[in-house]
Amino acid sequence: MKIIEDALKRGAKALSEHESKLFLAEQGIPVTRETVVTTEDEAVAAAAAIGYPVVLKGSGEALSHKTELNLIALDMRDEADVRTAFKGFVSRTDVEVKEVLVQQMVKGDRELVIGLTRDDQFGPCVMFGLGGIFTEILEDISFRVAPLERIDAMEMMDDIRGKKILGPVRRKPAVDRDVLADILIALGQIGLDNEKIKEIDINPLKIVDGKPIAVDALVVLDN
Amino acid sequence: MSCVEAEKAEAGVFERIFYPRRIAVVGVSPNGMGFGSGMLAALRAIGFEGTIYAVNPRGGEFFGMKLYKSIGEIPTPIDFAVIAVRAAIVPEMLEACREKGAAGAEILSSGFSETGTAEGIALEREIRECAQRGMRIIGPNCFGIYCPGSGLTLLPGPELSRTSGPVGFLSQSGGMSIDFAHLGKWMGVKFSKVISFGNGADLREAELLRYMGDDAETDVITMYVEGVEDGEEFFDTLRDVTAEKPVIVYKGGLSDAGNRAVLSHTASMGGSARIWKSVLTQCNAVQVHDLNEMAQASLAFSCLPGKVYRGISVAGGGGALGVSACDSAEQFGFELPPLEKGISDRIMEILPKPGSSAGNPIDVANPMVPPEVLKQTLLYAAEDSRVDIQILVQLLYHYKSVALGLGVESVKDVTPYGALADAVHDVVTTTGKPVILVLPNNKRDRESLDIEDMMREARDIFLEKGIPVFDDLTDALRAVSHVSNYYETKQRRQQGI
Repeated sequence: MKIIEDALKRGAKALSEHESKLFLAEQGIPVTRETVVTTEDEAVAAAAAIGYPVVLKGSGEALSHKTELNLIALDMRDEADVRTAFKGFVSRTDVEVKEVLVQQMVKGDRELVIGLTRDDQFGPCVMFGLGGIFTEILEDISFRVAPLERIDAMEMMDDIRGKKILGPVRRKPAVDRDVLADILIALGQIGLDNEKIKEIDINPLKIVDGKPIAVDALVVLDN
Repeated sequence: MSCVEAEKAEAGVFERIFYPRRIAVVGVSPNGMGFGSGMLAALRAIGFEGTIYAVNPRGGEFFGMKLYKSIGEIPTPIDFAVIAVRAAIVPEMLEACREKGAAGAEILSSGFSETGTAEGIALEREIRECAQRGMRIIGPNCFGIYCPGSGLTLLPGPELSRTSGPVGFLSQSGGMSIDFAHLGKWMGVKFSKVISFGNGADLREAELLRYMGDDAETDVITMYVEGVEDGEEFFDTLRDVTAEKPVIVYKGGLSDAGNRAVLSHTASMGGSARIWKSVLTQCNAVQVHDLNEMAQASLAFSCLPGKVYRGISVAGGGGALGVSACDSAEQFGFELPPLEKGISDRIMEILPKPGSSAGNPIDVANPMVPPEVLKQTLLYAAEDSRVDIQILVQLLYHYKSVALGLGVESVKDVTPYGALADAVHDVVTTTGKPVILVLPNNKRDRESLDIEDMMREARDIFLEKGIPVFDDLTDALRAVSHVSNYYETKQRRQQGI
């Protein structure tokens, strides 16, 4: 909870991607391995520690739309890739990039979205649905009011039109629904326990060998 | 008081509210039809079972009834009061009723919080304070309570049915309560209690829902809500009650607040319409989208055994039944299993030819197949183990041409709906599988009012035998799907994941 308190103190409206994931990991939600660096050499060392390939992302709370800002370098396969990408980010003149996030590259075979919002009448509500770019295009999502019972978590997965995405698809194993249910329940509990958290997006939540992992995350604060 | 004693006392209070022996109608104008006089006239017309005391400060008479000058002047204690005076003096009248021993009161008057004025809000607070001193309040700004058993009725409800039934209705809107009460009367929805609670100064959605959940007279709860006072309490109550009884919810004013200031996609997509829908799903409430759907669902829940229905047989003739039946069934998640060979062969032996077919849907070839043949068809079809429920579509209006051909004046004289009702009733009793009647009337021109009359009589006769009737196949299928989905979810949750 220290992450939240610190961010509130410094007047932040949201946690950075990295802080968001540190917080979510504390709550038992699986996230990517990643490190924030400020120099090129640190970036190279971090990439080696995480293991190639990696992703580099411009980091900082002002940078919540990294894709649109072209601040994501995917599939960096070696030291040269990392150095080039790092230099590219910090030399940008349109946005100021002071920190860079070096992150485990998760291929995954499916993209889901989960999130948290607060309803004026019913309080914290958990969202589940199709992730990545399809979240906005299809809006194939479902909600449940927190706290979620296990059956709520299971039923909300079946509520979306594209629920077959959870089954075995194209020789990939079915999504581990129990783990996914744990995550949905945990997200609801975060909403109940932290009044200062207004909204959460975890998008994409990728599926690797049937297990979900949060690849990008945004925690919005009531500040 | 112990918990059990408190509950008993509470039940006693509600008993005195819904089945009052003595009531006061406060605000009866001897000339003209205000809310008070309208309600008094309605109570007398419907045949309220108890004693009515009418109150007007000027005294006098109302159609031969003495008007008491004050509540204090009423010679006996009262159980319940109808308040229809101007807003400013409502708190004073309420207090007098409480002193007269009233367990509750309904306030028809408006001019309270709904006006948004400081005065209105202050008056409503006074009402709440009076309630806290020991009286339960319905309203203000409502149409009151309709209880067929006691003869309490809505404003303006002099002609509502006195036949009680399993459906309870809670409504924030007075107009919706009177509309549903009238609609129910001809559609066959019978009520235990209808409560229009208006502003809900004291009793409102969550507590009334809890009451209906506990009420032995109510098996099916329906409600119209626009907003709730306490989301968490409503949610918990709704979830508890649906574990016992079906709750059909018509949520008015569903819209997504488009331009809320939010940063995440989750929040931007989680507008109130989506959240409401989720709440109703999560609580296993039956969500309906208009008054007709609510009434149709109520009818289905009232008449059908509570269980999951998957396989349907549809039989009828003389219309474009086949494709539309299949499409509608699929839309609502039902199957129309092709009947087993042996069964369909036996059905073909008895149906008129040519033009008939006995797959599923069963085309009986024409709308004038005699009731005994339809009966045998339904008996055979029910033998198929995949058929859980049967729907018979009858285009009775075609008998008009028979009447014209025979030179008979009224279509009633040639339409065998009485025999058909007996036949269908026998099928249900014999097979244990429910049958639903769909009676479309496509001939509604003014020259055919005798058809309308015949259809209404036919409907009543079927309903008397407990057979639900719908105007339209899609309506019927949707209503059955509500029943089926409710019980499926209920069973799944009881069994665990």
